[in-house]
Amino acid sequence: MNFFKRGLLSITRRKGKSLILLAVLFILGNVIAGAISISQATANVEESIKERLGTGATLELDYEALDSMEESEMMNLEIPNLGEDLINQIGELPYVKYYDYNTTAFLASEEIESYNPMMEEAEGEVEMEGMGPQFQLKGVNYAPLLDIEEGKSELVDGRVFTDEEIENGTPVAIISKKLADLNNLQVGDTFSLSNEIYEYSESGEEEVLDSRDVPLEVIGIFEPKTVNSDTENPEEFDYMDMDFQNTIYVANELVSQEMEFSVGDMPEYEDYYVPFFVLNEPEDAEAFEEEVSPLLPDLFIVRHASDSYDSIASPIESMSNLSKYVLIASVITTILIIGLVVLLFLRDRKRELGIYLSLGESRMRVVGQIITEVLIISIIGMTLSLFTGNLLAQTVSDSLIDNDNNQSEEEIYYTEMQTDLTTEDVIDAYEVNLTGDFILLFYAVGIITILLSTVIPLIYIIRLNPKKIMM
Amino acid sequence: MILEAKDLNYYYQDGESRRFVLKNTNVSFDKGKFYTILGQSGSGKTTLLSLLSAMDTPHNGEVVFDGKNILEIGHDNYRRNKVGIIFQSYNLIPTFTAVENVLISMSITENELPDNHKTVAYNLLDYIGISQDKANRTVNKLSGGEQQRVAIARALSTNVELILADEPTGNLDEEMEQEIIDIFKKLAHEHEKCVIMVTHSNDIAEQSDQTFYLKKGVLNTNE
Ligand SMILES: Nc1ncnc2c1ncn2[C@@H]1O[C@H](COP(=O)(O)OP(=O)(O)O)[C@@H](O)[C@H]1O
Ligand SMILES: [Mg+2]
Repeated sequence: MNFFKRGLLSITRRKGKSLILLAVLFILGNVIAGAISISQATANVEESIKERLGTGATLELDYEALDSMEESEMMNLEIPNLGEDLINQIGELPYVKYYDYNTTAFLASEEIESYNPMMEEAEGEVEMEGMGPQFQLKGVNYAPLLDIEEGKSELVDGRVFTDEEIENGTPVAIISKKLADLNNLQVGDTFSLSNEIYEYSESGEEEVLDSRDVPLEVIGIFEPKTVNSDTENPEEFDYMDMDFQNTIYVANELVSQEMEFSVGDMPEYEDYYVPFFVLNEPEDAEAFEEEVSPLLPDLFIVRHASDSYDSIASPIESMSNLSKYVLIASVITTILIIGLVVLLFLRDRKRELGIYLSLGESRMRVVGQIITEVLIISIIGMTLSLFTGNLLAQTVSDSLIDNDNNQSEEEIYYTEMQTDLTTEDVIDAYEVNLTGDFILLFYAVGIITILLSTVIPLIYIIRLNPKKIMM
Repeated sequence: MILEAKDLNYYYQDGESRRFVLKNTNVSFDKGKFYTILGQSGSGKTTLLSLLSAMDTPHNGEVVFDGKNILEIGHDNYRRNKVGIIFQSYNLIPTFTAVENVLISMSITENELPDNHKTVAYNLLDYIGISQDKANRTVNKLSGGEQQRVAIARALSTNVELILADEPTGNLDEEMEQEIIDIFKKLAHEHEKCVIMVTHSNDIAEQSDQTFYLKKGVLNTNE
């Protein structure tokens, strides 16, 4: 009858106490299993949403730092510019799959109409005179178009740019299908925009000072893919959609020439580029940021597409935090409660333990017997609470999401890194499951917790003096 | 000579001074003999036995088993493989049956034992006077005398040559007491064990092969 068998026998001979320990373990096990279920489900959401957000990264001004600046500081501030050289240097880093940088000009046109979903609905043609430039001339450096490569839009007709066109600023353009249909444009057709320089008189009236035509040949037609209209507030998305539909892709060089025309003889003008890098893997984000940050001018930071997770996932994030606190608290509680319960039971068994020692049993084996007993009961208790705790987590998180979601609506805002994913999508992705990972993690956490909880009782055994007990 | 005590000293620290329970105790024991150590209550009998059984360590002196200091053998090892101890208060595990209590000590020792522990344990209990029916009861359902027999069986089960007993009949009636003494005599004389029993009873002492007298921590061969 070795110590393992002795342990087994002790459990069945002391049914009452075994059941008490089992009950305590079951209750605590439920809390731990629930907390782990929720924290794992939130981690899964984070992973899948971040994957959907993509591996894009840009360099932008640190608006938070700007916001917190004193007014006097702001006055003397010279906002630095990101040069092409720096962007190219960063683009050559091994983490970067491909990259682009854009400079943008807004131009008007007398020849073609801009797409406006609101007008379509209103049926009657409301003239939008004096609305200023409505076409976003988006300069690119990456000939195959990043938006197409990244699946934000699809080329439905014609072709993308060639490297020569990008380099020379050839007057060719890629426009949206809606814009093309609206104006009866086909691949090979030419249309023209007008670059107007305004002057504002004292009275606030604007006056066209100078203007020139910008003729462009349509070489390709794209259709936006990601903007979905089946969300709760379609207007917001139509608005985004409108911007996209009225985007005209051209070479950076062409935009640069038009900007030069509009600024006239302003001496210190430099092209302002917004870079966009697509990384190989989501895991590269941190290393990329670490390597890039020191290269950047003051006040510039790296912003990842996945950063917007935080703004759309607040109900999940708060639940994730809550589950972590609950987990830590329940593990500490378990260590204390199980430690004390086992210690109390051992004091009852003082004589038995003394007998083992007087028979020459090593203290380590006596310790081994007690750990065996506690672990066997723990594993039974944990196995029972595995299922109920997971169920509990589903119920609890459903009601937590409901509460939280009602509180924090309308917190969506858009930055350079637009996403059409919403809090709704995040919540849809949230799912409490009984996965193998969860079961493994739960047993690991549970067993480590139980082992820690036996430390106090074991010190008691180590210090036991059999002579005092028995003679 | 199987067991020898050399210049054993044991004391309790009483503030600055030491109160000696055992003073320069020298004694030796042989196999095949039944010894008694006679002394009044508080004379240090249990203390001496705890040192001989390695349940405690003397402040000075040494206990030698088969020519080896028991510290060298290792106290756990010594208790596991060399000595069987019988206590005044039986010290059986109450949740286990009589036979299980015997089996436990058989699983702890490293001494060579016959393969079928269970059969050996039942036979041993039967020899000591515990029927199979009683052997299968949890020990708290046995009388005091029966429990002490189980304790004796447990002490013998590991095949040791040295049995130490601390007032084993202190809680038993006279009839039971005599039966236990008879077992001890048989173990010494028929099975070549060295049995050392501590008692305060002159009647028992008279039945032993040799008696040592313990008075105020001093051990003598005569009164
Ligand atoms: N823990 C202790 N602290 C102080 N004195 C003790 C302690 N235990 C026993 N003693 C003393 O040691 C002496 C011997 O005790 P013990 O060996 O138990 O005697 P016996 O078994 O002969 O009755 C007694 O006088 C007792 O009072
Ligand atoms: Mg005593």
